Amino acid sequence: MSVIFPSLNWFEELRNRFNSNQRDNQVGVGTCDALVGVACGEKLFTVQFEAFECTNVMELEDESALENTDFYLELHPNDWKDMIINIKENNGAGLSFTLNTLDLELSDGLAKSWTEDQYRQDLFFRFNQTFQYFFDASADVETVFEEMDIA
Amino acid sequence: MTISKEELDLAPAVREFGEDNNLDLSWLDTRGEWGVRAEPSKRGLTLGDIQLGSYGEPGDHSDNMTGRPRGARARNDAYRVGGYKIRSKADIWLSNAHVLYEESLQRQWSSATDVPWNTIKPLPDDIERAQCQLATFLTEVEFVAAEVPGRWLAATTPDYFEPRMFLISQVMDESRHLDVFRKRAFANGGGLMQRPNVTTSGTVGSIDLSNDFTEMSSRLHITGEGSVLTIFRMGELMAYNEAEKTIYRLAAQDEARHVAFGVMHLRYLAETEPERKEEIHCYLDEGEGALVAGNQNPASRDTAQSEALAILLGGGEKNFDEGYRKLMAVRKRQAREYVQRVRSAGFGERFENGRANQELLAYTR
Ligand SMILES: [Fe+2]
Ligand SMILES: [Fe+2]
Repeated sequence: MSVIFPSLNWFEELRNRFNSNQRDNQVGVGTCDALVGVACGEKLFTVQFEAFECTNVMELEDESALENTDFYLELHPNDWKDMIINIKENNGAGLSFTLNTLDLELSDGLAKSWTEDQYRQDLFFRFNQTFQYFFDASADVETVFEEMDIA
Repeated sequence: MTISKEELDLAPAVREFGEDNNLDLSWLDTRGEWGVRAEPSKRGLTLGDIQLGSYGEPGDHSDNMTGRPRGARARNDAYRVGGYKIRSKADIWLSNAHVLYEESLQRQWSSATDVPWNTIKPLPDDIERAQCQLATFLTEVEFVAAEVPGRWLAATTPDYFEPRMFLISQVMDESRHLDVFRKRAFANGGGLMQRPNVTTSGTVGSIDLSNDFTEMSSRLHITGEGSVLTIFRMGELMAYNEAEKTIYRLAAQDEARHVAFGVMHLRYLAETEPERKEEIHCYLDEGEGALVAGNQNPASRDTAQSEALAILLGGGEKNFDEGYRKLMAVRKRQAREYVQRVRSAGFGERFENGRANQELLAYTR
């Protein structure tokens, strides 16, 4: 069954797959406690990680709610699409599409902080492998992309 | 939770047996707080879960010179086995050393088996040499990074064991970093290059001359490892295969933990001993000077390492200029992250009052 990106449904699919332990790529991970925002065009979400699980995903009404996140990941919708397609093709992000690479490659970066608290933004680095596995789990999801009105 | 005296007297039969057989059972009554029952949380049974009652948070000063475990009953005839210099809490404490320690244990990895070494294939000569130059530099840096915290282990009272144990985990991390970069140098037909002329001398060498823990931590964890974190992130960006990608990504996770320790320690110190802030600003003055001078920071300029990075980032010698431009973009990030980290640690005033290094600030714009 295909799922639209970006949508709450898509993140719920990811959460279920991430929590299911079916993917056996668990090197360098451990407990992870972080509230991560995701911004794709007008659509905003939060992904809550607690201990060994992704415990909650939510869609946000208003971008000021990003204030509560430790950091948020923001990409142009086309860049999200490229990343997700690459993950699907490689069964996990290829050399040019890991979260860290996108963060450094794109001029505006990927991981951002609403509060400019670097200690909290550094969670992106501390738990990077966990977040990578989370998005890599999308390799198992049939994603279709919402045609967005992109300026 | 504590159990009543009646409940405690759980061994009447043993006592009777002892009296009948002339045994000294006085040790049964000498103990710390009793009846403690720690419950595992969804993270397992963590150090945080056993910070209970009198075993929990230690006092602001420690007179423990005998290696007595925190909360255990003292023994008057114990030898003074520990010459612990760190016996003031603010000297080493942070609110979450126990969390970072558990995080470190969980996120350990093996350079032998967790890196897909077979994905390394022959590379153009200039790229291989640049990888090997960087690996040579990092092998030496990691040696220092293990040595420095190692010196403070035996100097720390057992009452402050959480930060002490975090430092032990850091020594392990740095050992693994040393070994993984050494392995990378030998994995693809290259080898070690000339040792850098700047690593263990100059500013990096001076980290180890620190006589005060916070002085050391501000230099090692904040300025030093903050920039090493950037290098690892760049390493991941410019990796030519899954093996390098994995090495740098996992090393960056470790490095971010070390940086987090430094930020949280500085924050604790700023909150509990604000009278020391001026002194800490002096260490940051020196650290910022080093960040722009280039001798501890390969993301700076005109060192063998920065040229190696530019070659790797550009994709070869002929694209050096493009690589250098990328390097400068990353350097801007590095400077911004440093500024925000120092703010988060409670020393942000230096960026408002003109004290911060202006050249460094120029990189953030
Ligand atoms: Fe290291
Ligand atoms: Fe480190």
